[in-house]
Amino acid sequence: MNRTWKRWMPAAVVPAVLAAGTAVSAFQANTADLPAKTPAQLIEMIAASKVDTLSGTLEQTSDLGLPELPATGPGANAGAASALELLTGSHTARIYLGGPSKVRLQVMDRLAERDVVRSGNQLWFYTSKDNTASHLTLPAASSRREVPAPAQTGTPAELAQRLLAAADRSTEVSVGPDTQVAGRKAYTLMLTPRAADTLIGQASVAVDAGNGLPLSVSVRARGQQDPAFRLAFESVSFQTPSADLFRFEPPAGATVKQQTVPQAAPSTKASHPAAKGAKAKTSGRGWDAVAELPAGSLPAGFASSGVLSQLSRPVAGGRLLSTSLVNVLLTDDGRVLAGSVAPERLQAAAAGR
Amino acid sequence: MLRAEAADGRPAGGRRPSAGWGLLASELGVLFRRRRTWAMLLALAAVPVLIAVAVKLSSSAPAPGKGPPFLDRVTQNGLFVGVTALVVSTPLFLPLTVGVVAGDTVAGEAGLGTLRYLLVAPAGRVRLLAVKYAGAAAFSLAAPAAVAGAGMAIGAALFPVGPVTLLSGDTVGVGEAVQRLWLVALYIAVSLLGLSALGLFMSTLTDVPVGAMATTVVAAVVSQVLDALPQLDWLHPWLLSHYWLDFADLLRQPVSWDSFTANAALQAGYVAVFGALAYGRFTTKDVLA
Repeated sequence: MNRTWKRWMPAAVVPAVLAAGTAVSAFQANTADLPAKTPAQLIEMIAASKVDTLSGTLEQTSDLGLPELPATGPGANAGAASALELLTGSHTARIYLGGPSKVRLQVMDRLAERDVVRSGNQLWFYTSKDNTASHLTLPAASSRREVPAPAQTGTPAELAQRLLAAADRSTEVSVGPDTQVAGRKAYTLMLTPRAADTLIGQASVAVDAGNGLPLSVSVRARGQQDPAFRLAFESVSFQTPSADLFRFEPPAGATVKQQTVPQAAPSTKASHPAAKGAKAKTSGRGWDAVAELPAGSLPAGFASSGVLSQLSRPVAGGRLLSTSLVNVLLTDDGRVLAGSVAPERLQAAAAGR
Repeated sequence: MLRAEAADGRPAGGRRPSAGWGLLASELGVLFRRRRTWAMLLALAAVPVLIAVAVKLSSSAPAPGKGPPFLDRVTQNGLFVGVTALVVSTPLFLPLTVGVVAGDTVAGEAGLGTLRYLLVAPAGRVRLLAVKYAGAAAFSLAAPAAVAGAGMAIGAALFPVGPVTLLSGDTVGVGEAVQRLWLVALYIAVSLLGLSALGLFMSTLTDVPVGAMATTVVAAVVSQVLDALPQLDWLHPWLLSHYWLDFADLLRQPVSWDSFTANAALQAGYVAVFGALAYGRFTTKDVLA
């Protein structure tokens, strides 16, 4: 009997060791001890950060309480689904920065990939699923004045800048416990809205202790323990990536589309009659502001599309698209109200109260 | 089915260090001389042939983005037949054949009544188990290699072969593309190691080989079904099949090794757990057959 037990021992020990090993590595991954800094010093660190060469893997997760949309199949609405697709589920992407105007972003889908390559004023988009490439030449002016290319809006750094820009007196800025992101020691900057009726509970930014680069951004809804949105580096290295990565040529057999940059000169836009009416109105300031788009600003047929009716529910005065961070009210007369506030606030704003 | 002469003729007392290797050579020899093994490998090799012939005979080229991934590239570049066939056979055909081989390892001997003769030989139960697992692992390597090899061969025969467009849109030469295809086959071979260990354990539980085979294949299917349910996403990183289709990461530029290492670690965990279970079962089992 004793011998029998001994022989079954490995079967009991091996899973226990594996479980302990995973638990220990998960625990160790989140500890760091850094010299104390004030929130102001951290904000300064982010502003002074000059990282323009890196290669890393980004992990993005959203848990906004939206149902996962079918990406294919009869129920799928290609346009709306792909726009909303980034708001549901999780994504992994690799990003390469090779200097001020060399960017490559690779969104890694299962058995497919979407690429954005920018080199100087040449911008390429490539989708492996249907083997199409789009080419865009940015206006020459943009090589002097930094135009936010789509690829750059995807980094935690960009998001952190936006959050900090929004942080004013309505926000309490504090320093959280030191952490580790992508194997690098980092400070945590916490932004807590002072407004009582916003849905956002807290936003936190992990700032690399070495070079001030924001390594992760996560936003938590009020009363929620897990982040509703999180964008973080899974791994990062600050060496200059190979120059070949930024040299993109459309592969043989691919469909190539030439696109032109929409002329966004502000003077012409203001004189356009339709643009005059479609101006967003904002009521309130800071975190609990409500934005209102007048009737007719949504593309025709959007309100009646299948995706929308799947995502929204009818409420008094219109349809409500509710997520844990943002509520959007589509009123019966075609206006759109959005804000990080409770639906009742939106309904009140819609009624003009 | 180890041949008796491999285990025969050794002094009953002392174990020669080469005993395990002789046993292994004999196991591999028997495994790859069996008609069933060849039939399974041929059936797997028929998958890319079927795909290539169907695409060749159809009047219109497959539309981009329709059908199995990479199918639309086949007409432009024959090497994609290998990738398409691997994508198609990974969910069921490969686990099926590996399940048959792994489920047969111990139960097959028991079912035929040859297991006790094997145990009379001085090799010992642990060594016998290790050799049996090595045989199943060798088949896990041979199966995706058969698919990839047949795919590349039939693709080269029926379609033009040229520089290959990777998922990232970059183009690599034929040499590197072939190398990457073999890497994909290796990735899938690693993916099947955990399933082989599971099959080995199932095989020690019963004297009926079909039972062990069926259980192993069902486990592979159940794992994939669970992996598709978003409600169980906490469980997903632990599922046997979680990284199976992530071999596409080897077709990106630069190659992303993250999924390869994650998959290898997961499969090693499965091998450790089910190897230990199989050891516990097999060394305490009363062998009557």
